[in-house]
Amino acid sequence: MKMPKQSVNADIGFQIAPMIDVVFVILVFFMALAGQIRIEQILQTKLPGVAVAGAPTEFFDEQILQVSEDGEVTLNDEIFDSPDSRNLPQLTNTLGQLQASSDAAKTKLVVTLISHPDSPYYRTIDVLNSLAVAGVTNVTFTAELEEF
Amino acid sequence: MASSGGGDGEPEFQIAPLIDVLLVLLIFFMSIASSAVTRYDPGIQVPLAPDANKKESSEGELVFNIAWQSNDNLAVTTFEETPVDEPASVIPTLIVRKNANPGVRILIRADSETPVRYINEVIQAGAQAGIIDITFATVAR
Repeated sequence: MKMPKQSVNADIGFQIAPMIDVVFVILVFFMALAGQIRIEQILQTKLPGVAVAGAPTEFFDEQILQVSEDGEVTLNDEIFDSPDSRNLPQLTNTLGQLQASSDAAKTKLVVTLISHPDSPYYRTIDVLNSLAVAGVTNVTFTAELEEF
Repeated sequence: MASSGGGDGEPEFQIAPLIDVLLVLLIFFMSIASSAVTRYDPGIQVPLAPDANKKESSEGELVFNIAWQSNDNLAVTTFEETPVDEPASVIPTLIVRKNANPGVRILIRADSETPVRYINEVIQAGAQAGIIDITFATVAR
């Protein structure tokens, strides 16, 4: 049987179909990757820092927040919310009022946060989230009677 | 005069706009993937904080990752992807970085179940190096 003769040097030109196939595959890959991405956010705090000798002393309003090992939160020895409450509505409301009164008195509100060393980190973040909602940014961390 | 609009002709499938749209989508997904994956450790489950702020910039960030291994009751702390036995050991490095750029800040990415003592060690190391800006990585949901 006689086979049709094929031209060896035939110019097939630019093929768009394979290019679209490849682009689709890459697109699907990155779309799948985008679904796995968690957008991280941040809670900002600022330590009080070191006092400069000779500078005028700045008076501030200090509040003591404590987190116990089981997640109980106290503000100046008064218990706020239950250990299971993640939003801490009572604490947030009270901190907001304290921040408002400090702003009115033109004093700086500083919160000293004392978390039990064995308390879970997420509970401290719950408290920091509550502080962020109340607009408090000056936070001192204290652990095992050593302040920094 | 005859119209040149060709109203009776059958519309054909146009490949050029399809490629344009595909490439735009590709570039979009590539850009968000590359920016979010930077220094991201998927092994760490950072805690929830619905009211945290969006991170504007990563400039001057000194990243501490703290992975909590509950089975071994062990926290593995890494500073800029290098494991450290104790955060206090990197204080000289922190001081150098602070002197080079006074605007540096510490970013703590820790597992939500990590005991606070390990977080405090990192904060203490930062405070001893004179770094007062401390930020905590969280997720909104």
